Amino acid sequence: MSKHIRIAVADPSVIIREGLSVMLRSFTRIAVELVEIPDMEQLEFQLQVHKPDMLIVNPVFLGIFSLQTVKNGSGCRQLKCLAFNYSHSELPSAKGYDGAFSIYDSPEAIREKIMDLMEKTEPDNVKHDTLSTREKEIIICVVKGMTNKQIADYLCLSTYTVITHRRNIASKLQIHSSAGLTIYAIVNKLVELDDIKDGVTNLGEL
Amino acid sequence: MYSFVSYTEDDKMSDLICGHYPMLLVLSRFGIPLGFGEKTINKVCSDNNVHTGTFLTVVNLLLNPSKNISEERLRELSLNSLLDYLHNSHSYFLDYRLPAIRAKLLEAINYGNSDVSIVIMRYFDVYVAEVRKHMQYEEDTVFTYVKKLTEGKNTGGYGIAVFREQHNQVEARLTELKNIIIKYYPDGGENELNSVLFDIFSCERDLASHNDIENYLLVPAIMRIENKGS
Repeated sequence: MSKHIRIAVADPSVIIREGLSVMLRSFTRIAVELVEIPDMEQLEFQLQVHKPDMLIVNPVFLGIFSLQTVKNGSGCRQLKCLAFNYSHSELPSAKGYDGAFSIYDSPEAIREKIMDLMEKTEPDNVKHDTLSTREKEIIICVVKGMTNKQIADYLCLSTYTVITHRRNIASKLQIHSSAGLTIYAIVNKLVELDDIKDGVTNLGEL
Repeated sequence: MYSFVSYTEDDKMSDLICGHYPMLLVLSRFGIPLGFGEKTINKVCSDNNVHTGTFLTVVNLLLNPSKNISEERLRELSLNSLLDYLHNSHSYFLDYRLPAIRAKLLEAINYGNSDVSIVIMRYFDVYVAEVRKHMQYEEDTVFTYVKKLTEGKNTGGYGIAVFREQHNQVEARLTELKNIIIKYYPDGGENELNSVLFDIFSCERDLASHNDIENYLLVPAIMRIENKGS
C-alpha cells in the first residue's frame, strides 16, 4: 500500500516545477499529489488552501518571507520543509528547514530524503503486516459491535491499549472502518455471519 | 489525467474530447451534446448557452490538478454555471454511476449468496448512503449559501470556511472497499469482478476530481467574494 503525500513545489520556473513533478510522481510506494506554486506572494494563501504535508522551496526565492512566518500564517505548523538548492555545494541547511537537497541529486537520494521525513512524522510506524492473536481478538469484538470500553473490559485491557491496537490494525490492513473490518473478518473466517447479526448496527457507522 | 496542456476557447472541442476522453463527463454535466463537428470550444459553448470561461476553467483544472487557478480565472467564473455543473455531477454519481456499480458488483460476487458477498453489499449500501448525505449537505447548505451570497441576500452567518474545514474525501471508503476486494476477496480474477474493479477505480478517480473542483475552484471563488464583501 503506497503512502499518500501532498507536496507543494514552490518555484518561479515552470521547467523546475514540471521537472520535479515528473520525478516525484515516478516514485513507487509513495503516491504523491502535487501542488505547484509559481508565485511566492501567493505561497501563504496556497498553503492555506491546499494544506500540503511537505513544501519544497528554494530558500533564495523565499527572500524576505521567513519560513516560520509562512508556516504560521498558513496554519500549517506541521508542514515539513525541504530546501531545494540550485547549486552544487552543500549549503549549511537553512534555518527552519527539515532537510535539503540540490538540483544535482539523484532521484534515489531525493526519494530517500522524502521518505525519511515522512517516517519522522509517524514515529510508531508499524513495520509488520501480520496480525497478532490479540489484534485478531479485537477485530472479532469490533465486528460484533462492541465499543472500545466493552472490548477493554472483556479482554482486561485499558481503553487506551484497545485504541492503540485498533490504530495498528488499521495501519496494517489499511482498513479504517468497522464495516471494512467485518468484510475482512468474514473472508478470513474470524467470525460467521450469524455472529455479527446482532451487531449489524455497527455497519451503520462506517 | 496529468498533462501539461491547457486548452483555450479557440481550440476545437473535438480535439479536447479525443485527446482526453474523461472530459466526456464534463460535457454531459454542462449539458453539451455530442455532434459538434469542427466547431471551437467557444462556439460549442455559446451554442449551448454554457459559460465558456467556466467550462475551460473546469477542464483545465481537471487536466492539471496541481496548477493553481489564477485570480483572473476566478474573477471570470460564472458561479451559477459552476453550481449547475456540480449539481449535475452529484446526480450523475447518485442516480447513475453508483447504482450501475452496485448492479455489476452484485452480479460479480454471486448475487449475495455467500456471507462475504452479503457483507460487501452492505458495505457498499452504507457507503452510498454516506455519499448521498455528503452531497445532500452540499446541495442544501453550501449551494444555497452560495446562491444567497451571489444575490447579495442575508447568508445567516454561514461561511465557506466551515465547508472547507469539514469537507472530507468522499471517495475514501470506496478506495477501502476496492483494496479489501483486491487483497482479500477469495475468488476473483474473473472478468465480471475485474470489470467492476475497473469501474470502481475510475469512479474513485472521478469522485476525487469532483472534490477537487469543489475544494480548489468553488472554495477559492467564494472566499474571494467573502473577502471582498467584508
